[in-house]
Amino acid sequence: MSDLAIELFGVSKRFGPKVAVSNVSLSVPRGSVFGLIGPNGAGKTTTFSMMCGYLYPTEGTLKVMDVDPATPGALKGRLGALPQDAVLPPGWETGALLTYWARLSALAEPEREAREALEQVGLMEAWNVQTQALSHGMAKRAAMAQALMGRPPLVLLDEPTAGLDPRIAAQVRQVIKGMKEARQTVVVSSHNLQELEELCDAAAILDKGKLAQAGTMSELTGQGSEFRVQIARGDVLIPEIASMADVTDARMEGESVLRVRIKGGVKPEEVISRVVGHLLQHGVLILGVSRGQRLEDRVLQLL
Amino acid sequence: MRNSARFPHTLDGLKETLVIWSAELRRAVRSGRAVVLLGLYSMFSALVLLVVGWLAGQVREAVNKQLETAGAGADASAQVGEEMRKGVLGFLLSDDSAMMEALSRVPLEVLVVFKITLFFLPAYVALMGFDQLSGEVGPRSMRYLTVRARRSSVLLGKFLSQATLLLGLVLIIDMAIFVYARIANPGFGFADVVINLIKFWLAAIVFSLAYVSLTTLCSSLFRSPAVSLVFNFILLFVFWLMDTIGRAAQTAYSAYQVVDAYAVGEPSMMPFLRFLRYLSPSYYAGNLLHPKLAEFAASGAAYAGFAMVFLLGAYAVLRARDL
Ligand SMILES: Nc1ncnc2c1ncn2[C@@H]1O[C@H](COP(=O)(O)OP(=O)(O)O)[C@@H](O)[C@H]1O
Ligand SMILES: [Mg+2]
Repeated sequence: MSDLAIELFGVSKRFGPKVAVSNVSLSVPRGSVFGLIGPNGAGKTTTFSMMCGYLYPTEGTLKVMDVDPATPGALKGRLGALPQDAVLPPGWETGALLTYWARLSALAEPEREAREALEQVGLMEAWNVQTQALSHGMAKRAAMAQALMGRPPLVLLDEPTAGLDPRIAAQVRQVIKGMKEARQTVVVSSHNLQELEELCDAAAILDKGKLAQAGTMSELTGQGSEFRVQIARGDVLIPEIASMADVTDARMEGESVLRVRIKGGVKPEEVISRVVGHLLQHGVLILGVSRGQRLEDRVLQLL
Repeated sequence: MRNSARFPHTLDGLKETLVIWSAELRRAVRSGRAVVLLGLYSMFSALVLLVVGWLAGQVREAVNKQLETAGAGADASAQVGEEMRKGVLGFLLSDDSAMMEALSRVPLEVLVVFKITLFFLPAYVALMGFDQLSGEVGPRSMRYLTVRARRSSVLLGKFLSQATLLLGLVLIIDMAIFVYARIANPGFGFADVVINLIKFWLAAIVFSLAYVSLTTLCSSLFRSPAVSLVFNFILLFVFWLMDTIGRAAQTAYSAYQVVDAYAVGEPSMMPFLRFLRYLSPSYYAGNLLHPKLAEFAASGAAYAGFAMVFLLGAYAVLRARDL
């Protein structure tokens, strides 16, 4: 068993002339929460769909839980998926539908699994409601619930919080955190970068089908490589700070933010303490210190 | 583990198929489409039955009247009736004497209605199941299934649920026809009713399973249910056309052979067109009521062959496609 839940090797997917995913290679470690980031049309859903075996790659190979997702029956019981834009089949009561699907997944107690999954997403009241009568948000949660049934080792969630009201979205995030605690691997995509920053250990940023960057969250946000000091009052002596040990660069961003870059391999807390000490010595008043960069800023910078 | 042994793998697929089969069947029964179609089909059959019954009565009466004025006895009347019956049978089914003998106790109305309902059964099958796959691929609800079941299980489960529905519906309709026939013809004995009911039911099932798999194939080809329905009807028409042209070409060809001595040259397309009929499932319908097992089995095998080809085609399409 490999330590990686998912591996992509030079994967491309074309729809006729349209290249949806182009030569993407990435790997998702087991037990991690992994984010897929990118603007609309970046190829997130296409990548998800290939991981689930819905779509076959035009080029390249995939390994999901050590098997090729295109092999019939290979992913059964190992994968839960919330596909984007997949309509729940009409003519079913939600509870009966989930029970049917749990039975199809060969789970031991289908009805209990269905109940627990619906409870997890706070949708027990929809047990007897026909699927076509569910609101958009409810349908999304019901679809999320089916991905949770049986606690599969790998769960793929394509925009699980899109279109949900804030309270429910928070509940969904809680469920994802719970899965991480249970050592399940989760791959999640979202437009809400703050949310991904909160949830994910690592992420890949896609743009126009290409992989723009991939890495751990702290690599992406530069947690170990830079920090910012918000200045309230006083004169900052940039040359002096720039010449301090382990500092590679220092400059003002706008009127009141000092950005300092740190040499690789150095513990950031040491540099931060020295810089702040220097500022205080020179009578500079400080409002706050923040390490790294917001994921949102990083993504905007990249794309 | 799971993949290392072939047998548990197959067993897994079988279980999936069973689960999908029963779930789809329950949904279909509840959805009402099957019931509405059954209603329509029974109404249609009843209408045909009434019209045919009335026509037969009229003809019988007219013949009797003519015979009376000609001064013939009851014997002659019965004989003419029998001749008429044979004529109709020969036209409808075949002039095979064994078959005529076997069907001699079945009221003519039943045969006519059976023949007509058989003609429309493929359309009925198409209406019932045209969206079994395309209706799930289009809106992508298929994606919820394929993470928990093999595509082959989905296909087979859906096919089996359609087949089961049809089994029930055809039984209901055939039963209704025979009950009517029994009431209308007191001479039609109970044992005959039961034996013929089973025979007719079996024939209709063998016949329609090929069309159920044709509908499955059409449904696997497209994302849009409407397109798969239209395509299904086009195929039915093409099959009908091939059968009809093939038979006509055969008749012409036989005639040509008889007058060969005077013929100037062989009609160029005829030999080829003759064989078209073998490619159409409906060509093999004739012997489904045959009393000899061999004849019935040959017909049945032809239908099983068609069903197999269509199903394998559907699987190849579904296996290769993006969902
Ligand atoms: N079935 C399809 N046929 C043609 N183009 C497609 C299809 N699916 C996706 N695309 C195109 O591929 C690109 C990536 O789509 P998608 O993976 O859905 O992006 P995302 O989920 O990141 O918004 C888009 O430009 C989209 O228009
Ligand atoms: Mg998407």
